Amino acid sequence: MADVKAISLFIRPEFENPAVETAVVGDIERRLSMWERISNMDPVRKFTVLVTLVVAWELYTRIGGINELMFPTFTKTFIALVDALMNAGLLTNIWNSLSLLVTGYVIGISIAAVLVVLGVWTRFGSDLLTTLTAMLNPLPAIALLPLAMIWFGLGNQAVIFTLLHSIIWPVALNTHAGFQGVSETMRMVGRNYGLKGLPYIVKILIPAAFPSILTGLRIGWAFAWRTLIAAELVFGGQVMDTSGQLGSEGSNAGGLGWIIFQNQMENQTPYVFAGLFTVIIVGIVIENGLFRNVEDRTIRKWGMQQS
Amino acid sequence: MSDKAIDIYVRPEFEVGALKDATNVDVERQLSLVERISNINAVRKMSILLGLVVLWQGYTMIVQPEPLLFPSFFASAEVLWETILSGEMFEKVWISLYVLLLGYAAGLAIAAIFLVLAVSTRIGSDFLSTMTAMFQPLPAISLLPLAMLWFGLGIPSLVFVTIHSVLWAVALSTHVGFMGVSETLRMVGRNYGLRSIPYILKILVPAAFPAILIGLKIGWAFAWRTLIGAELVFGAAAGKGGLGWMIFEKGDNLDTEYVFAALFMVILVGLVVENVIFRNIELNTINKWGMQR
Repeated sequence: MADVKAISLFIRPEFENPAVETAVVGDIERRLSMWERISNMDPVRKFTVLVTLVVAWELYTRIGGINELMFPTFTKTFIALVDALMNAGLLTNIWNSLSLLVTGYVIGISIAAVLVVLGVWTRFGSDLLTTLTAMLNPLPAIALLPLAMIWFGLGNQAVIFTLLHSIIWPVALNTHAGFQGVSETMRMVGRNYGLKGLPYIVKILIPAAFPSILTGLRIGWAFAWRTLIAAELVFGGQVMDTSGQLGSEGSNAGGLGWIIFQNQMENQTPYVFAGLFTVIIVGIVIENGLFRNVEDRTIRKWGMQQS
Repeated sequence: MSDKAIDIYVRPEFEVGALKDATNVDVERQLSLVERISNINAVRKMSILLGLVVLWQGYTMIVQPEPLLFPSFFASAEVLWETILSGEMFEKVWISLYVLLLGYAAGLAIAAIFLVLAVSTRIGSDFLSTMTAMFQPLPAISLLPLAMLWFGLGIPSLVFVTIHSVLWAVALSTHVGFMGVSETLRMVGRNYGLRSIPYILKILVPAAFPAILIGLKIGWAFAWRTLIGAELVFGAAAGKGGLGWMIFEKGDNLDTEYVFAALFMVILVGLVVENVIFRNIELNTINKWGMQR
C-alpha cells in the first residue's frame, strides 16, 4: 500500500431528453403480398424451376438452331414420348425391365436373407458373410455380365445373375451391420421371452435394425436399377452384333435400356430422350412412391427416424 | 369380509454345518491353442479366403469344367501375375483411374458451384433440389448413348457420364447435410461475421462432414460402377480402354482367365479406395473430431 493513486471517475451528467416522440406501434403484423405468398409455396417454386428449364431447353434448341439429331426440342421429345407410349408399346418395355428387376430383387433378397441368418447363428457364418461382402461389394455387378453371358448365354438368366450380384451384397452388408448394432437390452428382452432361432430374428432383430435394412434395400435397388439399364445397353451391342433376335425390329422384347440403345443406333434422338424420361419417371415413382411409403409406415411411424 | 384363516408355512431356520471346501472350480482356464488361434479375426477370415480358393481349385480339378467357361484359380492367378509383370494390367488400371479421377474432380467442382448457389439463394436451393430429384434416379450409364452422340467415342463421353454419376449423389447428400447443420453453429459463424464462401468452408462443411463423406462414398461407388459399365458398352467401339474394356474384350475372345484376372483387379482397386483412402479420410476427420465412433 505504498502509493495511493487517485482515480478520477468521469460521471456523466444527468440529463432529460425532452424530444421523445410518442411511441407509435409499427407494422407488426403485415399481410404478405400476393406475390410473396405464392413464392413461399414450395411446389410452386420447384414447378417454376422445372418450367424454366423446359423453356430454356426449347429456346436453346430453336434459336440456337441445334441439329435435331444431336439435341431435339422439348416438344419433339414430348411428342415422341406420347407416341412411344401410345403406339410403340413403351409400356411393354417398362414392364419387361421391371419384371426382370423384381425377379432379381426378390431372389437376391432371399439369398441375402439366408446369408444373414447364417451370419446371426454361427460365428463361421458371420465370418463368411463379412469376408464375402468385403470382397464382392466393391465389384461392380456389371463387370460380371461378360462372364454371365459366357455361362448362361444371351438372355434373361445372364441379366438376373448380374442383378442378383448387385443386390445381395449391399443388402446383406447393411442388414448384418444393423443386426450387430441392435442393443443388448433388446436382445435380452427377446431372450427373456424365450425367443430363439427364426422368431428371435423376425421379432427382435429385424424391427430393431429396420432403418439400416431399409437403407440396404434402397442401395440395392439403386445399384440394381443402374445395373439393369447398363446390362440392357451392353446387351444391345451384343445382340446387334450376333443374332438380332432379342428386341429385333417391331417386337418389344427388350427393356428400357435396350430402347435407348436401339433408338440411338437409329438416330432417333427424340426417342432416346423419351426413354430417358421414362427411366427418370420409373426411378422417381419407385423411390418416392414405394420406398417413401414403406419408410412412412415403418420407421417413421415407429419413431425411429424424425421428419 | 370373509374370515378365512390363511395358513402360512414358515420355513424353520437352519444352519448348514458342513460346507465343503470349494474344489475343482476352474475359474481361470488357459484357452487351448486352437481356441486362441481361432479367436483371431484375421486368421479366421484368411482361412475362409483360403477355403474358397481351395474350393474353386478343387472344383475345377475334380469336375474339370471347360477352362474357357470356368478357369482354375491357378490359371487366373498366373495370368494376373503375368499381366502385372508385363505392365499391361497397370496400364489398364491407370486408364480407368485416370478417367475416374477426371470425372470425379469435375463432378465435385460442379457440385460445389451448385451448392454455393444453393446456400446463398433460395432460388439456387430450389434449383438444386429439383435437379437432384430429377437426375438422381437416372442411371448415369443411360446417358452414354447421348454422350457418344455429343462428344464422340472417347474419353470425353466417359468423363461426361462419370460426372453425371458423381455430381447428383454428392450434391444431394451435401445439401441435406448443410440443411441439417444446427442453428447454434450457424449463429456462431454469423457472430464471427463469416459470410458466403468462408461461412461455407468454416462452418457448414465441417459441421456437415459426415453427410458429405457419405455423399463422396456413394458418388465413388456409382462412378466406379458407371465407368466399368461404360467401358463395357464402349467395348463394341473404342480401340483402347481400361479395365472394363479388358473384361469385355477378353470375355468376347473367351480368354476367361483374363476376365477373372481383371475382375480381381477391379475388386482390388475397389478395396483400396474404400478401405484405405476413404477409411483414412474418415479416421482423420470425423472420427478424430468425435462425430462418429
